[in-house]
Amino acid sequence: MMPDFDQQGKGQTKAWQPDLSAPAVLLEGVSKSYGRIFALSNITMALNGGVTGILGMNGAGKSTMFKLLMGKLKPSQGKIRLFGTDPWKNPAPYARVGFVPEHEKMYDWMTAHQFVSTFARLNGLTRAEAMLEADRVLNFVGLADVAHKKIGQYSKGMRQRAKIAHALVNDPELIILDEPLQGCDPLARTTIMNVIRELGRMGRTVIVSSHILQEIERITEQIVILHNGRLLALGNLHAIRDKLDQIPHRITIEAEDAKALAKDVIDMDEVYGISFPDMKNLSIQTHNLGAIHSKLPAAIVENGHRIHTIDNPDDDLASILGYLTSGGGI
Amino acid sequence: MESRPNTIYRALDRKAAAITEFTMRQYRTKASTWVVLGVGLVAISLVLLIYIDVMATGFESVDNDRDSEDPDNDGYPTGQEIKYGTDPYMDNSHPGLLTPSIEPEPASNYIDEDGFDITISGGADEQSTGYDDDGDCRDADRTNSQKDSNDNNIICDILIERDRFSGDWYAEADNYVDEDPDDAAYAAEASHMAFVLGIGKMGFVLLLGMFLPLFLATGLIREEMNDGTMHFMLSKPIARTEVFLYRILGYLGIVWPYFIGLGIIFALISGFIGPSDGFFRFQDLAVWLAIVFATMMASFVYGMLFCALGTMWRFGIVLAIPFAAWELGMCIVSMGAPDAPILRFSVVGWALMIVDAAALMAWPNIDIFILQGQLMGDFGLIHSTSLALDFFHSEPGVGTSGLISAVIATVVLLVQGAVLWFIGGAIFKGKEIE
Repeated sequence: MMPDFDQQGKGQTKAWQPDLSAPAVLLEGVSKSYGRIFALSNITMALNGGVTGILGMNGAGKSTMFKLLMGKLKPSQGKIRLFGTDPWKNPAPYARVGFVPEHEKMYDWMTAHQFVSTFARLNGLTRAEAMLEADRVLNFVGLADVAHKKIGQYSKGMRQRAKIAHALVNDPELIILDEPLQGCDPLARTTIMNVIRELGRMGRTVIVSSHILQEIERITEQIVILHNGRLLALGNLHAIRDKLDQIPHRITIEAEDAKALAKDVIDMDEVYGISFPDMKNLSIQTHNLGAIHSKLPAAIVENGHRIHTIDNPDDDLASILGYLTSGGGI
Repeated sequence: MESRPNTIYRALDRKAAAITEFTMRQYRTKASTWVVLGVGLVAISLVLLIYIDVMATGFESVDNDRDSEDPDNDGYPTGQEIKYGTDPYMDNSHPGLLTPSIEPEPASNYIDEDGFDITISGGADEQSTGYDDDGDCRDADRTNSQKDSNDNNIICDILIERDRFSGDWYAEADNYVDEDPDDAAYAAEASHMAFVLGIGKMGFVLLLGMFLPLFLATGLIREEMNDGTMHFMLSKPIARTEVFLYRILGYLGIVWPYFIGLGIIFALISGFIGPSDGFFRFQDLAVWLAIVFATMMASFVYGMLFCALGTMWRFGIVLAIPFAAWELGMCIVSMGAPDAPILRFSVVGWALMIVDAAALMAWPNIDIFILQGQLMGDFGLIHSTSLALDFFHSEPGVGTSGLISAVIATVVLLVQGAVLWFIGGAIFKGKEIE
């Protein structure tokens, strides 16, 4: 094929027109196998608008799905469309897509501004336009004051934000972020989450992956759960949670006087068992997590208990997966 | 985004320039680039140092006809005694006894008293060259038939003739013509030309033109794929074939200026210290130009080839090595048999044709010059330097004029590069990137 000599970027030329009636992301029966191992198996979904969290353990197929969407991998079976176009055959839709890859490696010898503006030109921007665009997106992710420092000197969180800025060039309609919070300190996490939520508010379609439930929970309610390459659940996180609350749960409380606290909670209807892992800790077994969470604070305050921590060891992705895969279903 | 009219500059300033500039900057930040360029510079400079040493030391002339000797120890060299008709072997016969008395000349006057020049005349199978510099053939006392002992009807020349049956050339000089040529001058000229062709073909076109791409272009796409950084480039609306091409342009943006710089240095140094009537050997410039151009073309085709191989397989350099070995073999074949059909299936064969074509245009008498040296089999220094020159010199293998050969070779190399780009782009397009 001949190079694109007018250098306009196919997204802006007559050659490719986005199909606005088509969803931003469409997967129909998509499988990806390596030999006999299925990295993704028979995934069907359509996403358009809002922020969607892709939740799954390491190796669940999140990155594979993103690379399929970005035309980096070819599906073994099924159909993938970005705005109605097959990304494996045509790179044109990337004019409207931003992608934050999971890879740690970056161009450490460049400044964030050089990094963003250089690749912005691949969107068909001139040098001057790319400079302005880099200023805009770096400001958006909060890197404006360090934009002219080398990426090699950046912290993990700043590197992730530089990658996000790179993806936000040309104001894409669809932004795909592969584990953007991984390895970030709490402050960077909050900043990145705010950026993602802001993009959602701006009406963009955002897909963000994570293996930590609490992270996704703080960003969006709309989630997709992948497990061993299969689509396990798709829907509202609260609906999934409500179901989850009905199953047996543990709450671990570290208190000054664990035995006194035990006396006050043992009478609650929802509690069916208590135990003391050690002198300072009380473990409560319940089959209605929501009810306990509403009653527990009152009980603690009324009786003047001094407590240090409250923890739900079962309230994580592993237990959701355990519940879903044991036949719970949603 | 505001829209302004699209000038060519603005158009080029987008994707192509972005990736090309990026690639060049990336090369500059890598230590490996500087190591490869540095090793290339050191390797080729060593050969230059040897050349400088040879040219500075010069060659020691040989008294081929031994007329600088004085066998009768009367103080007069044989050549001078012959000139004045005295007996070189009797010490009571020498020019000092003549009236008026002649002072003895230094022996060095008779070491290279009859150099030869390489102006030629005649047809394809029979040519005339040589000039009786010391006048001992054109002596008025000798008859015309004595002056034309080789019977080609030209007095005091050297006949160079092709044998009708064997096709070999042989030479027959009239008596006393070029009987003691200037060995040092011949050796210096032949060594200089052999150096220019040798370093040009083996050093520039083969060594730099092939090994630089081997180390610099093989990872051009592959390293980015391995590091995962290729995702940054490929998540933009750009076809992979374009990325492939612009990455190559970036690589050429590093190696081409390097070749041009080295070529200028070599042309200047060898032009000033090489044997010359003037202060600079301007006649060599066309050859140096061709050497740099051929190296650029070779590095372009090899860059496409090795980059494609690197894209194809993680250990692409393993695939590249058999190609490199093949090209090395073809380079040697082209020295001996420049018209061998097998050379058409190489890159280096075509690239070297550009150098040969330029040598033919810049040094039109190079063939006769080599032939003269080889036909004077007795004269060791002349013979060996002419053999060296003969090894590095070849006729352009397509059998046409220099200019047409150079144009044909350039077109073929461009087509090879374009085909390899197409193949490399297709391989890249079909690659899954983890």
